[in-house]
Amino acid sequence: MAAPAVEVANLQKRYGDVQALDGVSFEVRRDEIFGLVGPNGAGKTTTLRTLATLLDRDGGTVTVAGNDVDAAPAAVRKAIRYLPEEAGSYDAMSGRQFLAFVADFYDGDSDAMVERGVEVADLGERIDDKTKEYSKGMGRKLLLGSALMTDPELAILDEPTSGLDVQNARTVREVIKAFPNADRSVLLSSHNMLEVEFLCDRVGLLNDGEIVVEGTPAELKAEFDAQNLEDVFVEVVQ
Amino acid sequence: MRPFTRLVWKEARELLRPRYILPILMLPVLFIAMGQGLGGIEEQLGNEPQVGVLAYDDDEYADVVRETLETRADVVYSGTDGTPEQALNQTTDAGGSAVVVIPDNFTERIRDDQRGRVRLYTQVESVSIVGIASSTQVESLVSEAGRNLTVAITGATETELDPIERSHTTYVKGERMDASPGAVSAAFTSQFVFVPVIIMFAIVFSGQMVMNSMASEKENKTLETLLSMPVKRRQIVAAKLLGGSFIGFIATALYTGGLAFAQLGVGASFGGSAVTLGGMDYALIAVSLFFSLVGTLALALALGVFADSQQGAQMLLLPLSGLAIVPMFATMFTDIDTLGIGAKVALLAIPFSHPIIAPKRLLFDDVGIVLLGIGYEVLFAVGAVWLVIRLFDSDRPITGDAGWLDKLVGFVQR
Repeated sequence: MAAPAVEVANLQKRYGDVQALDGVSFEVRRDEIFGLVGPNGAGKTTTLRTLATLLDRDGGTVTVAGNDVDAAPAAVRKAIRYLPEEAGSYDAMSGRQFLAFVADFYDGDSDAMVERGVEVADLGERIDDKTKEYSKGMGRKLLLGSALMTDPELAILDEPTSGLDVQNARTVREVIKAFPNADRSVLLSSHNMLEVEFLCDRVGLLNDGEIVVEGTPAELKAEFDAQNLEDVFVEVVQ
Repeated sequence: MRPFTRLVWKEARELLRPRYILPILMLPVLFIAMGQGLGGIEEQLGNEPQVGVLAYDDDEYADVVRETLETRADVVYSGTDGTPEQALNQTTDAGGSAVVVIPDNFTERIRDDQRGRVRLYTQVESVSIVGIASSTQVESLVSEAGRNLTVAITGATETELDPIERSHTTYVKGERMDASPGAVSAAFTSQFVFVPVIIMFAIVFSGQMVMNSMASEKENKTLETLLSMPVKRRQIVAAKLLGGSFIGFIATALYTGGLAFAQLGVGASFGGSAVTLGGMDYALIAVSLFFSLVGTLALALALGVFADSQQGAQMLLLPLSGLAIVPMFATMFTDIDTLGIGAKVALLAIPFSHPIIAPKRLLFDDVGIVLLGIGYEVLFAVGAVWLVIRLFDSDRPITGDAGWLDKLVGFVQR
């Protein structure tokens, strides 16, 4: 049986005097979308960056697709794609050139990857325009296309629909919803609780540097006798 | 395309954007404009001066002055009456800018063993170098007239006028040169104004480009994406160094061309064949410059890790630029051998000093010192590359945490 997409146990991280993560533990299974939610400053981005091998940790263990992020960072980077909340592309490249640039770093047919990226980004003829001419929403769709085109075992998506209009946000959600399979999972962070409830199979609520509740949206709503995930969120962080 | 090639290509493309490349293109244009300005002065000095002559005296010695002027200059106005102001106006209208006025008692005073007097009236439209260049020519004409008068009055020959012929042998640090100290000094000055400036440009602009490449990643918010992809951090470092130095070299070539066009030091006469560098000397300077650049670029990239924007990168570049400018001025205005031990050690501790002082050292066959300098630069380059790889292997590019350097960096950026 394949290892879980993510196993985090007692993860700790400190920035100077601030204890950003204080024993975070959770697991992302194969073929699921796991939502990591929480108030601003709860430690979501720090957790995602640690999984993406961008930050060192002060304690705990983190494995992605069976690889320890410290012992085998190269293997982890091969297995993931990370879409940060605030991400951009290179101004001097067209959308298609940016996709080709990213595809070159991954094993497989890079032309096929680029075609998949073009399809997911859904920018029509604008894919050949310079990325500096893109609107924020177009840039976000391009980045989502580049994140999913390499067929990662784990897609780490931080606020994937940030800056998108209603129609584009819906399209992107459909793409993300269809992404998981036996080999692929998604770890998603969002402040949009309706989006999280729609997309996620399970949710972990992070507060003050630790996961305080975890379960499926239905389980959490039942546990807190709430009508939706937003009410659960408010109840927990109060 | 291979990932590394793709990374280098990406760096070059990003740095060739107008926001980075336009400021670099501006200065060579300025140099070219300066070159044209200086060329204009040279052209003016090369032409026969246009002057006017107002001679109230028509006796023999006044004629000598007038004949000298007519022989050595283009006399556009010649009169015997009227006011000097009228003569100057007419001379100016005819394209000249100065009138030589010979009073009516000129010959008489010389005959009475007194100095003859002439008065120069000059129209200066500009107080710039161009504006005063023509008056210098007229001064020279009057001196020539004085010499001709001496011949006319005394009947002296050229030999009698200048009976001593001088030739020079100058020893500079044991090196014999068949030229006057002034000529040797002029040759050194011309060479060591040009070479250190070029080397300083190479260091500063390559450093700036590498730092820009880091700042650009942060401004475009592409750094996290790049660092989370399956590419070795040292490949990212190498690509940034290569891409940045490529653009830096283009910038340096443009500046070199601009400076050459401005004729700052180029084409100056040398003090003799001893004051020239051979092929091996240039090879050693190139090796010295190469290692100095590798160290500089790595250091610039390490500093760039802590720059959050292009503006921040510019500020962080200041100390690096300062370190490149110090040896440049030190070489231009002094000789390292004449410095005290403290100043000498401080200067040699700056890695950029070594390629800058190398040409002068090699002129005196101090190859050992240059090789020692190269050894020092290699150590510095290895250390700087090690530092930047360590930084990229850590989470500092993301957090920007400079540890105890944070306060210092914050101070510099402010």
